[in-house]
Parts: sequence; structure tokens; C-alpha cells
Amino acid sequence: MYGIVDCDNCYVSCERVFRPDLNGKPVVVLSNNDGCVVARSNEAKKLGIKAGMPYYQLAQQLPNEKIAVFSSNYELYGELTARVLEIIRQEAPAYFRYSIDECFVYFNSFDMHDGSTGLKGWGEQLYRRIRKSVGIPVSIGIAPTKTLAKTASHFAKKYPGYRHCCLIDTEEKRRKALKLYSIGEVWGIGRRYSARLEALGVKTAYDFAQKSESWVNATFNNIVIHRTWQELNGEDCVPNEELAKKKSICTSRSFNGMVTDIDTLKTHVANYAARCAEKLRQQGTVASVVAVFLYTNTFRQDLPQYWNFREQRLPMATDSTIDIVKAASQALQDIYIQGYHYKKAGVILMGIGPNSPVQLDLFDFNAEHFQKMKRLDAIIDRINKVNGTETIVLGSQQYSQKDGKGKADVFANAIKHDFRSKNPTTRWTDIIHLK
Amino acid sequence: MKSIKLMKGEFDESLNLLLAPGIKAGFPSPAGDYLRESLDFNRDLIRHPEATFYGLVEGDSMENAGINDGDIAVIDRSLEPQDGDVVVGYINGDFTVKFLDLSHRAEGYIELRPANPRYQPIRIDETDNFEVWGVVVWTIKNWKR
Repeated sequence: MYGIVDCDNCYVSCERVFRPDLNGKPVVVLSNNDGCVVARSNEAKKLGIKAGMPYYQLAQQLPNEKIAVFSSNYELYGELTARVLEIIRQEAPAYFRYSIDECFVYFNSFDMHDGSTGLKGWGEQLYRRIRKSVGIPVSIGIAPTKTLAKTASHFAKKYPGYRHCCLIDTEEKRRKALKLYSIGEVWGIGRRYSARLEALGVKTAYDFAQKSESWVNATFNNIVIHRTWQELNGEDCVPNEELAKKKSICTSRSFNGMVTDIDTLKTHVANYAARCAEKLRQQGTVASVVAVFLYTNTFRQDLPQYWNFREQRLPMATDSTIDIVKAASQALQDIYIQGYHYKKAGVILMGIGPNSPVQLDLFDFNAEHFQKMKRLDAIIDRINKVNGTETIVLGSQQYSQKDGKGKADVFANAIKHDFRSKNPTTRWTDIIHLK
Repeated sequence: MKSIKLMKGEFDESLNLLLAPGIKAGFPSPAGDYLRESLDFNRDLIRHPEATFYGLVEGDSMENAGINDGDIAVIDRSLEPQDGDVVVGYINGDFTVKFLDLSHRAEGYIELRPANPRYQPIRIDETDNFEVWGVVVWTIKNWKR
């Protein structure tokens, strides 16, 4: 059996831990740069606020509603979800973190001494512990396959009657759940496929599961779709390694305003690259390809449009900030054309694998350099961990001084975050005040 | 002449080599048998790290309990608040630290009691938007500013 533990409206719930007054009220969290809505409380969803809605439209469309707005504060979300994960680690036989707010749990028959019904109690108890200790509500789905567990968690979230944990452990429950589950919501069925399925008359997960295997193969000839079909029918087949295969790491942002010169672009890209390298080291992996993409503002059709993408293969798979920043700069240089107004850039790391042993490039390998880089990165990570993000940055991550007077801005200050909450779990200056 | 067979190595897993028990490198320390781990506040005083938060005490409402302005309170959210505990409550948009008095529960209200005669107890009934946010397990004072 598999379980999935999913934090409800994760970023909103994290904000509410230190703002209990916002329970039951509409709350939204904005994307980086305060661009658009990325997380909504149930009350905000009820007001019709959609994910991805640009922030400026919020005030225009709902002038009379009182909505609490937060800039995203990943330092806080990262810390609180790590606490959730720690509780799951203590309570679950085996687990795998799937994303910032979702974690798979594995049970074998040995864990289920009183049959699968005991799992319902286990889930409810896990909910209560996380809710009380960290303050974040979760929904838990438990079923024989990962896809069905995701389905179950949807029902756990939607209907309070499940007391935050929904168990699909009988054929009857499986059929009932799938009939109420629209095909577009099924895990692994992308928007593209769900549109095609709907056009073929497949409206619910049940309609899809009822199709014959030969129909599925003839219509899609796609391994992921086939596996989803098997999983909906109770056949466990999404391999565990699949979840771990983070195929790429991406950091991208829209700029605050538009950017024309290569120096500013290089600084942005250096920061995205540094962030990606940090993520690599966190998960203990190395990358072999660095890609950079660049866009002009597609909303400004009055301006000339351009976009491009360039991959840069690294001589040797690495997690070194300096090497990755260098490669990203080169890729940017290759695609940059003067004269356009750029709005967005991003860095993608690909070819990701475990960090040891690295496949060394025998002709280009400098053992001394390699060891130095490793030491340097470890020190940078440590300093930034102790003293706060971006205490130490590479020179290329610094924005040039404005008007020659002020201190050079680091990345964190160059992006907009007008409504960012404090960090009571990671900074002594931000701990809550008790009157 | 025998043919040479090329074998492909498997390098995508790392193997941790452990020292076999009883094998020690270097000169054995005579104190080795008496080694204990150092005392560690984080390990020994904080029983539920995942549920532990910190708060800065403001004001003198808990003065007579020895909880003063500027102290740091160590708050454990996982504990079930008991009558007489020092708790962090959240009321009217503020966090507050007080004694929890559950003795009037049968009469439909509870009280948050200060430890300073200049302050009144805060009476809370079901109509109040109130929650016990956590239980204070330690306070830390700095004597050498």
C-alpha cells in the first residue's frame, strides 16, 4: 500500500502558523516578484481567485473583499515543511519526499498488522500530530497504487467526513472514487491528454479505467498513460525510482521591469545558476548540462519579440556554483542580442545524477581545482546557512551599483517582495513577541 | 591466445566502508572507555525539535513568575496544555505568555493569569477567537548583557 501526505494549500498554511487570525479568511501568496497568485486559501478559492491570476487584477476584480496578501517566503515554507517531513519520517515505515508539499509513504504487509483498516487510524493520527506540532493541516490518501493514493488524497481534502485521511482499499471504494474523479485531475494525465480523452468521451477516471488495454495502447501508445491506466485499475506499476528522478532543476523569474543590457542579464542569470547549484548540492546530485533561456515581454506586442534557449554541456558533471555560473554566462552570451527588451530568463540544469562518483573527464580534469571548488562551495553553503541566504555571493551575482553611491544590491533585494512575512523559525530577530 | 572480455563497471551506487568493530587506528586513548557525549541543550532540553518554536518576552506581566522582558521562551506545540502551565496564547491578533487556569472550565470559561498584581486575568469563553498556541517549557535569561 502507498500513502501520500499532502500539505493543504501549503504556503497559505505556513503563513497562518504565525497568523492564526487569518484562519477562515481569504489568504493568497504571490509568486516571486509579486507577479501572480501561486497559493490560495479555500476562502480565496471560493471568491473565484484562480491560481496564476496577476496580482494587479486582484484589487481590480475584488475591490470590496478583504484579502490577506503575502509575498512568497520560501525560507519559511522550506523550514516548516522540513518539520512536517521529520514527523512523517518518525511515523512512517518508509517515505519519499516528492515535492515541497507532498510526500509518499510505503507500507508492506508487515506494517499492517491489523489489516489495511488500521492505516486509516494511522493517517488520522498523523494528521493530528502534524496539525498540532507544526500547525499545518495535511490530507492523506492511502491506496494500493500511487495514482489511487493521489486520488484518495483528493477526497480527503475535499470532504471533512474523511477526517483528513481517505483509504481506498476495496474494489467498491475504488469504483466509487474513480466515478467521482474527473479525468483532468488524475495524476500523470497532463492537460494535453485530458483534453484528448474528454474529446473521446472519457470524462471520469472511471471511464478511462474501464477502457480496454488495447484501446489505451492504440489511442495513445504512451508508457506513462498506459501505466496510469494500470494504476487506476489497482496494478502497482509506477516505479519508486521514477519519483526520485528529478529530471531537471529550474530557476527562472520575470524581471522587475524590462532589461536591455547584457551585464544586468548576466547578473540575473548568475543568481539563477547559483540557486540551481545550491539545490543540486541539497539533493546530493550533480548536473552535466546547463541551459539558459531568455524571453522578451510577450504582452508587449508593440515591441520586437525574441526568445532563445541554449544548452551548454559541462566538461564534467558538477555541483560547483562557479562552474555552473560560468557555463550559464557563456550560454547567455551565445543567445543575447542587443536591442530587445527582455522580461524573463531562466537556468535549467539537466543530466542530473548522483554526485559520486562523477564521471571524470580525463583530459580536462584538474584534481586540485576540483577539490578547491568543493571546499569553497561547502564553505559558502555553511556561511549562508548560518548567517542567512546570500550573505556570501559570487561577484557576478552582485548587481552593479545604482548611481555609484549605494551599496551593490544582492539578488534577494533586487526582486520585489513587498508583503513578505518574517522568518520566526530561522532568524532570532524575527521570533514571535509574547506580550 | 585468450580473448579479452570487457566488463562494464557499475558506478552509480556508492558503498560506505565501515570500520570493523574492534579495529582502531593509531594509539588507543586511555580515556577511550570513559567517553561520553557532551551535554547538549538542543539534544537534552528540546524533546520535540519539530514542534519547538521560540518567542521573545515583552513587558512585565509575568514578572513574579521570573519571566521578564527580553527573556527567550522555548515553546513546545506538541504538548497538551495542562492546568497551571505557562502557555503562549493567541488572542486578538497578539501572542501572549500567561499561566493557563482551567479551574473554571465547568462554568464555561478559562483564564489566562498574569504573574503581576498590576494586570488582570484574561477571561476567555467560547465566543472568543482564542487558541493555546503552545506550551512554554523553558525560558532563557541573559545575565551578562
